[in-house]
Amino acid sequence: MQMEKTEKLELKPVSTPIPDQTVAYIIIAFFGVFFLMLLLYPLFQILKTSFIAQGKFTLKNYIEYFGKSYIRKSLWHSLYVASVTTVVTTIAAFLVAYALTRTTIRLKRFYKAVSSLPLMAPSVVQALALISLFGRNGLFTNMFQAKWNIYGPTGIIISEIFYCFPYALIILITTLSAVDSRLNEAAESLGAGPLTVFWKITIPSARYGIFSAAALGFNLTITDFGNPIVIGGNYNVLATEIYTQVEGMQRFDLGATISVILLIPSVLAFVLNNYFTKRNYSLISGAAKPYIRPSSKSKRAIFSTISMLISVSIIAIFLTIFWTSIVDVWGGRAGQSKQILKWLTTFSTRHYDFAHRGRSISVVWTSFWISAVVAFFGAWLTLIAGYIVEKRKPKGHHLLYLVTVLPAAIPGLVLGLGYILAFIKVDWLYYKPSIIILNIIVANFTLGMLSTMTNMKNIDISIDEAATSLGADLPKTFFNVIFPLSSISFWNNVLFFFERSMVTISAVIFLVSPKVDLASITIIHLIDDGYFESACAMSTIVVAIVVAVHVIFSIVLKKLGKQVV
Amino acid sequence: MGKDLVLENLTKRFDKIVAVRNMNLEVKEGEFICFLGPSGCGKTTTLRMIAGFEIPTEGLIKYDGKVINDVIPQKRNFGIVFQSYALFPHMTVAENIGFGLKMRKIPKDKIEKRVDDLLDMVGLRDQKYKYPAELSGGQQQRVALVRSLATYPEILLLDEPLSALDAKIRVSLRAEIKRVQVELGITMVYVTHDQEEALSISDRVIVMNHGFIEQVDKPLVIYKNPKTKFVADFVGTSNFFDGDLDGNIVSGPWGKFILSKEAVSNLPFSKGAVSASIRPEKIHLYKNSSNIPADIEKTNLKKGKISVVTFLGVIVRSLIKVEGKNIIVDITETDFEKMMLRMNDEVTLYFPPEDFLAFQA
Repeated sequence: MQMEKTEKLELKPVSTPIPDQTVAYIIIAFFGVFFLMLLLYPLFQILKTSFIAQGKFTLKNYIEYFGKSYIRKSLWHSLYVASVTTVVTTIAAFLVAYALTRTTIRLKRFYKAVSSLPLMAPSVVQALALISLFGRNGLFTNMFQAKWNIYGPTGIIISEIFYCFPYALIILITTLSAVDSRLNEAAESLGAGPLTVFWKITIPSARYGIFSAAALGFNLTITDFGNPIVIGGNYNVLATEIYTQVEGMQRFDLGATISVILLIPSVLAFVLNNYFTKRNYSLISGAAKPYIRPSSKSKRAIFSTISMLISVSIIAIFLTIFWTSIVDVWGGRAGQSKQILKWLTTFSTRHYDFAHRGRSISVVWTSFWISAVVAFFGAWLTLIAGYIVEKRKPKGHHLLYLVTVLPAAIPGLVLGLGYILAFIKVDWLYYKPSIIILNIIVANFTLGMLSTMTNMKNIDISIDEAATSLGADLPKTFFNVIFPLSSISFWNNVLFFFERSMVTISAVIFLVSPKVDLASITIIHLIDDGYFESACAMSTIVVAIVVAVHVIFSIVLKKLGKQVV
Repeated sequence: MGKDLVLENLTKRFDKIVAVRNMNLEVKEGEFICFLGPSGCGKTTTLRMIAGFEIPTEGLIKYDGKVINDVIPQKRNFGIVFQSYALFPHMTVAENIGFGLKMRKIPKDKIEKRVDDLLDMVGLRDQKYKYPAELSGGQQQRVALVRSLATYPEILLLDEPLSALDAKIRVSLRAEIKRVQVELGITMVYVTHDQEEALSISDRVIVMNHGFIEQVDKPLVIYKNPKTKFVADFVGTSNFFDGDLDGNIVSGPWGKFILSKEAVSNLPFSKGAVSASIRPEKIHLYKNSSNIPADIEKTNLKKGKISVVTFLGVIVRSLIKVEGKNIIVDITETDFEKMMLRMNDEVTLYFPPEDFLAFQA
C-alpha cells in the first residue's frame, strides 16, 4: 500500500510550441495591423480627401466651407445646440443622481431602470416622439391648436437632452455614491446649513464627475446624427451637413472637410472627459458607504417630483413611438384632426407592412445577424486585447491601449465616411456586411475594452502566474483560467456590442446599400420617404428586440453570477 | 553532485531603479533557504527571476550546471506558492491540484490518484470537491502548496506564503511546510520579511537590503554573529551605541564601554567611529547592587531607571533610561517577579564585554 502511494508518475516536459512572449507579440501585432487598417487609415483618408486635390495640398475645401454662409452656419449651430444640451442635461442628471444616491425617496429602482431605457434605442426615437406629440400633426399641437414650431434647434435640443441624459446620469451616480458623504455630516456638525453643505461640499467634491458628464454630453450631442436629421428641418448641424454633402451632393471632399471640423470639438470634448474621469477616480474614496439619514419631507417631495417628471417623459417617448406605429393615421385622416380620441383609437397594423413602403422587413433579420456577429467578435477581441494589455504587458502594450481608446473620440459618421473613402476599391468590404461589422466593432471598441480591463484588474496577477508556473502556456491559461473568470464581463460585452450594433445610425449610414440594409438606417429612410408612422414601427421593432435580448441576458447573467464564485 | 541552483552576478533593473545588484549565491539540492529583508529589498524580484517571470538585466541563473536565463517558466518546472494563494476560484480543490498534471496530458485516473495522495499529505482529503472560497485561509494555502508540488517540481519557490494568515495558523503551517520539505527532500526558496519565520524554518538565511546581500548564514549565526549593523538591527532586537573606538573602548555621550577583543577584531581600524550593539537578553539587570558580582568589568556597569515595562509572555521587555538613552532589556518573567520590579525603580545594568558586537559606523 505504502509502495503504491509513493509510485511516481512519469511526466513528460510541457509542450509549449511558442513562448508566451512571442504569442503576446503576435497578438499585439495583430491588433496593431487591425487598428492601422480599420481606424488610422480611414482617418488618414479623411484628412487626405479634405486637404489634397489633384495630388496637391489645398485649402480650397475649407475656403469653400467657410465661404458658403449656409454651410458655415452648421458649425455655430452644432456648438450652440451642444452647449445648451450639455448645460441642461448635466443639471438634470445631477439632480436625479443626487436623488438616487443622497436622499431616501421611494422608487429608486424604477427611476434607474427607466433612465437606462434610452440606451437601448436608436438616437432618433426622441425626435420621433417629439414630432408625434408637438410636430405639425402632433397630438398636443392638435389638442391646443398650437402654432409652435418644434422643427429646428428647440426640437434638436430637447431630443438630445433625453438622448444624453442616461450617459450623464451613470457618471454622476458613480461619482455621488463614491464621494464620501461623511464629509457632509462633518460639515453639518461644524454648523453648516444644508444649502452651505450642498454648495461648499457636495458640488465641489463631485466637480470632476460633473465636468466629465458635461464633456461626454457635449461629445454625444455634437456627434449625433439621428435626432438632428429627423427634427432639424432646415437647421443644419455639422453631422447632418456631412450627410447632405456626401449623400445628396456626392461631395466627398466637402464631407471630409466638415468631418475634420467636427473632429476638433468632439475630440476635445473626449479628451476633457477622459481627463476629468481620471481626476474623478482619484477623488473617489474606498471608504464604506455610510447610512443615508432619512431626508426631510419637503426634500423627498422635490426630488421625487424631479425624478418622476423625467422618468414619465422617458416612458412617454417610448409609448408615443409605439402608439404612433399602431394607429391608422396619426393626426387623423383629412378633416378628422380635431376628433383626437377617435384617431388615437383607430388602430391598424398597416405601418408594419414595410414592403408596401418600398422597404423590407428583412432588414430586421440583417440587423440581428450582423449584431450577433459583432457581439461575438467584439467581445472576444476586447477580452483578448484587455488580457494582453492588463496582464501580459508585452512591449507596445501602452501604444495598443492608446489606440483602443481612440475610437470613442471619433464621431461614428466620420469613421463611416473614412471607411467609404478607404475601402471603395476593396471588393470584399465595399457595401458588404463585412465592412459594417468591422466598423461597428472598431467604433465601440473603447468601451468594451475599458470594461474588460476593469474586470482584468480584479483578477489577481498571481492567478495568471500560477497557471504559467503549473505549465499552462498563454492560450491554455487564457481558455482554462482567464476566460472562465471573465465570463460575466464577457457576456456583458456581448450584450453591449449587440445593443450598440442594433441601434447605431451614424456609424453605418454611409456603409449600407440596398443589398445590405439595416433596421436602424431604414428608420431614417422611411422618414425621408414620408412614412413617419412606419419609421415609428421600425423603431418599435428595434427597441423590442434590444429590450428582449437585454432581459434574457440579465436573467442568464444573474444565474451565471451565482455559479461563478 | 546534486542539482544546484547558482546565481552569478545577478542584476535586475527596472528603468532607473536597481532591484537586485550583482547577487552571487549557491543553493544546494535539498536545501531550504530563505530570503529575508524589508519590503523593496529585492527578495521577491530575485524569486521571480528564478521562477522565470522576470528576465535578469545582467548575470546568470544556472540550474544543474545549465544557464536557464532564457528558459520559459513552463519549462523550468519550479513550483510557486503565492502570498495570495492564487487558487483558481472556479475550480474545485481537486481540479486546482490536478491542473498542472492536466496541462501535461496525464490520464484522468492517474491525476485522481496523485491528487488524493497530495491531499492526504496535508490532511485535506475531505475537502476535495469544495471550492477555494469555501475553505479557510490556512486550508487554501495548504491546497496551493500541494498544487505546486503535484508536478514534482525540482525547486519550490514560496513568496511570503504565510503573510496573509493569522499568527497561530502561520506557526502551524510553517511547521507543515518544513515537514513537507524534509519528507520530499525538495529544494525550497522562501521569501519573507518575517525574521522569526526565516530563522525558524530555513537551513540558511540570506539577509537582503537595497538589492544587496548583507549576509548569508545559518539562522543561529545570523542571530549571534550579524556581519553588518543592518542585520543586527533587522534580525532580532539590538541596542546600538554609536561612539568612538579607541582600542577596545567605545565612548559616547552615554559614557564608556569596554568591548571584548573578539568584538573589535573584525573592524578594519582600532580608532574611529563605530556602532556597538548588544542584544536585550544579554544585559544583566540588578535591583540591589549587593547582588552584583565583584569580579566583573566595572566600566560596563550603568545605573538607570525603568521607564516602560511590556509583558511579552515568557519574557518581560523593559525600557530603561541610562544617561538619557533608552535601553531595551529583556529578562524572564520569573526573574522579573522575583525582583518585584516596578516603574521608576532604580536599577543597575551590566553589559558583558563579550556580548558586544561592533560595526563600522
